Amino acid sequence: MLRADHLWKRFGDIDAVCDLSFEVSPGEVVGVLGPNGAGKTTTLRMLAGILTPTRGRVSIAGVDLGQNPLAAKRRIGFLSGDTQLYQRLTTREMLVYFGRLYAMDEARLARRVGELVEQLGMADFASRPCGTLSSGQKQRANIARAFLHEPDVLILDEPTAALDVVTGQFIVESIRGERAAGRSILFSTHIMGEAEYLCDRIVLLHRGRAIDIGTLPDLLARSGCANLTDTFLRHVGREETRPSAVRRPLSGVSAGDDDSSRGMTR
Amino acid sequence: MRLSIIWTIFRKELVETLRDRRTLLMMVGLPVLLYPMMIIGVSWFQQSQEEKRAERASTIAVWGEDAGLLVDSLRGAAKLTPKRWAGVSKEIRDTLQDPATRPMPALPAAQSLAGRQRGSNIERENPVLGAARAAVADQGIDAVLILWPGLAQSVDGDGVGAVSVYYDSVRPDSTLARDRVVDALGRYRAALVQRRERAHGLAPGFALGLDILQRNVASDRRRGGELLGMLLPFVLIVMSLLGGLYPAIDLTAGEKERGTMQTLMCAPVGPQEIILGKFLAVWTIALITALANVVSLAATIARLVPGTNFSLPLWSYVMTFAMLVPVTFIISALFLAVAAFARDFKDGQNFLTPLYMVLAMPAVATMLPGVQLTTTTAFLPVLNIALLIKSVMLSEAAPDLVFLTLLSSVTYAGLALLLAARVFQQEQVLLGGQQSLVRLLGLERRPGRRPGPAVAVVSFAIVLVVVFYGSLLLQRSGVVAMLLVTEYGFFLLPTLALVFWLGFPARDTLSLRVPPLRAILGSALIGLSAWTVAAGILIRLLPPPDSLVRALEHLLLLDSRSAPLWAVWLVIGVTPALCEELFFRGLVLSGLRRLGIVPALLVSALLFGLAHSSIYRMLPTAFLGLLFGYAVWRSGSVACSIIAHALNNALTATMVYAPAHFQWLGMAKGQFLPWNATAIGCAIAIAGLLLIASAPQYEYEHPRRGEEP
Repeated sequence: MLRADHLWKRFGDIDAVCDLSFEVSPGEVVGVLGPNGAGKTTTLRMLAGILTPTRGRVSIAGVDLGQNPLAAKRRIGFLSGDTQLYQRLTTREMLVYFGRLYAMDEARLARRVGELVEQLGMADFASRPCGTLSSGQKQRANIARAFLHEPDVLILDEPTAALDVVTGQFIVESIRGERAAGRSILFSTHIMGEAEYLCDRIVLLHRGRAIDIGTLPDLLARSGCANLTDTFLRHVGREETRPSAVRRPLSGVSAGDDDSSRGMTR
Repeated sequence: MRLSIIWTIFRKELVETLRDRRTLLMMVGLPVLLYPMMIIGVSWFQQSQEEKRAERASTIAVWGEDAGLLVDSLRGAAKLTPKRWAGVSKEIRDTLQDPATRPMPALPAAQSLAGRQRGSNIERENPVLGAARAAVADQGIDAVLILWPGLAQSVDGDGVGAVSVYYDSVRPDSTLARDRVVDALGRYRAALVQRRERAHGLAPGFALGLDILQRNVASDRRRGGELLGMLLPFVLIVMSLLGGLYPAIDLTAGEKERGTMQTLMCAPVGPQEIILGKFLAVWTIALITALANVVSLAATIARLVPGTNFSLPLWSYVMTFAMLVPVTFIISALFLAVAAFARDFKDGQNFLTPLYMVLAMPAVATMLPGVQLTTTTAFLPVLNIALLIKSVMLSEAAPDLVFLTLLSSVTYAGLALLLAARVFQQEQVLLGGQQSLVRLLGLERRPGRRPGPAVAVVSFAIVLVVVFYGSLLLQRSGVVAMLLVTEYGFFLLPTLALVFWLGFPARDTLSLRVPPLRAILGSALIGLSAWTVAAGILIRLLPPPDSLVRALEHLLLLDSRSAPLWAVWLVIGVTPALCEELFFRGLVLSGLRRLGIVPALLVSALLFGLAHSSIYRMLPTAFLGLLFGYAVWRSGSVACSIIAHALNNALTATMVYAPAHFQWLGMAKGQFLPWNATAIGCAIAIAGLLLIASAPQYEYEHPRRGEEP
């Protein structure tokens, strides 16, 4: 079970996250949705113990993350676009390394590595350096790292971003499998369909604040919209989606620049 | 902190780094190639140059009228080609043929001939010197021999003839030519003296009196060691630096760039465990590099150098490697701390290259003649180890200096590691935040907050740099202007600017409060008496040289005895008291107070001592700084130390200004204060301290939690 209690994060003069409270129960998937800059990554990083909240508390399976960070982190599996793999280690070596950091005993570690290699279809590349893997293979290895120590809580920051449909679907199904195993899962995504398919509840985040939290039917009922995309746009505000807001003149870009950049990549 | 986790991180970092070919090349490949190439190449080159030079005859221009057989004797000498009047201009030829011309420069008659050769032979500018310089510069002539007018008469008439040899000490050919000419002249002179002795019926050797033989006691090993001692500390340190440079960037900025830093941060490991694991890996790689360098060097010297007849004992290499252990420790920690700020590998190179240069700089100093390991240099980081390696190469390392060097190096290494650990606790640094350096140094503007230790130390560094360069600019502007501009412009102005710029509350930061009366009286007593402790006790420990005492007296009198006493009091007493106290006992002490009052007082006193930039003034000024700091801390008011500082300075200046009025103290010029006067002074100072201690303690606000450094 994951609980966020009045979380704030301030960077200099900017409040990246303001007064955010929610919880994720065992066997529940909660999605965090928001436009770029809404504070999704900051929130997830705070919940994973990578960033210290300016105010507020996080508890992971009853352990206070601020008071006892190591014990709390041992119960978290974290995955994001920023958690990459060691290029000069093989997948197996990488998994053994993290297993030891999570203080797993050697027998359990060996068993889990074997299980995950089979379960995630990594037998072909588990002995290759991570630097030589394709992006789909890398994401599988990364998921194996997050699932390795059988954490109570999974925090997944856009786990399917920039993946092909097959790998994306594979990951979505893996998440469903972990939910069935009783884990509390928090994940952020841009893909509305994925959120509708996976999430038991959804946190809509905008400018660092939770503008709505609830199940999909609750959110639709409160917004009066037919689907999640419309609900999202309604909350975020249509003005941000108007072309005039994004169609700024691109200063310094000319035909010449374009040519020269093509020349560089030729 | 768990050792098993540190070990796991260390092992993984080491394995990953060793799988990188670039690191391996830097670590082992480069040293294996470098030393044979460097030592063999240089010695072959040098040998062939020397052989060529020895083969070649020196061309000597001989200017002036000949004295009998002198030029013939030069001509008879091996590998010497005298050319009469070669390269001379008409004016100089006329000058040298004019019987009225005297040797230049005019030397005191009493000076011996040997003295003219060996002593200070830098001649003041004159036309003959200029012409000789031009002649030697065109490379066709190696040296110029001048036979001054009247030489023949002097030689024939039992007098002393004057000849000068002009050469260019930078050109090896010219130096060799000088040696050959001087040898030939020496032989001519010996024959002349013998002839004269015979002519006057004197015993052989009558005129010589003393036969001086010079013998070099340096063994082959020492001579070899000297050459190696000049070059190798630099090369070994620079190479070890290089060994640590790449992994330090790779394990910090490189990890950020590859996105693995966050992967590691979400694992249940503490920042100290991460930094220690990474540090051990970088240190191990730097050590392997150092070892590869020393082994390659030993092998090169033992087997490959042609024609050498020296070798270094094995323990010299073992000691040299042992010396590199603390150096690599310091640099690994510093590299890691600095590289952690970088966002990517390129950024890391930009950050570490200047640091690399700064760390390599002290090692260059070992190549300068006369720079040796002393109690002072033993405390300079990196330089001390470089000098220690040099003395190991010369087999003359003194045990106490070895101990001091290792002690100070271990201390610096510990500090460097603490810095690195502190950097790794900043989440924004690890996640690639931008303004993290400014934040880490506490240099962010945030109105209302109080300064911390980092601000104190950084402000000290800023003021020190401003004072150093500022006073260089003011060197020619007279003592009064220099003192006033330095104090108001370089101490007071930066202090006030920093306080306002960083938004510190001025009253609290600078301790601008009215002190209790007893603290004022106590401070006055300290101001009047503390100098006795310095003059009676402290300067006995490290007596200043006369030149420093004279320079200080000169300063205290404002460069002349004509300045009125009130002006001396104002410029020497009040001004530094006001400006320096607001900085040291204001900004610096407030910043350091969070360390606890004893460390704060000690560190601020040490910085005060350091700022007077003389090892001899260090102890007395640090002592005064300690007393002033205590007065300010106890009373909460900088006025106390301003009073004490002003009285101390004014009194010292007055004693120099009107020494007659202070004869009753019994301190003769150039001597220490007698013990009885010292004892009375100490008693007054202690009374002053007790008076301050009896005043109520000022209650400081406790710093708020989470306040920045």
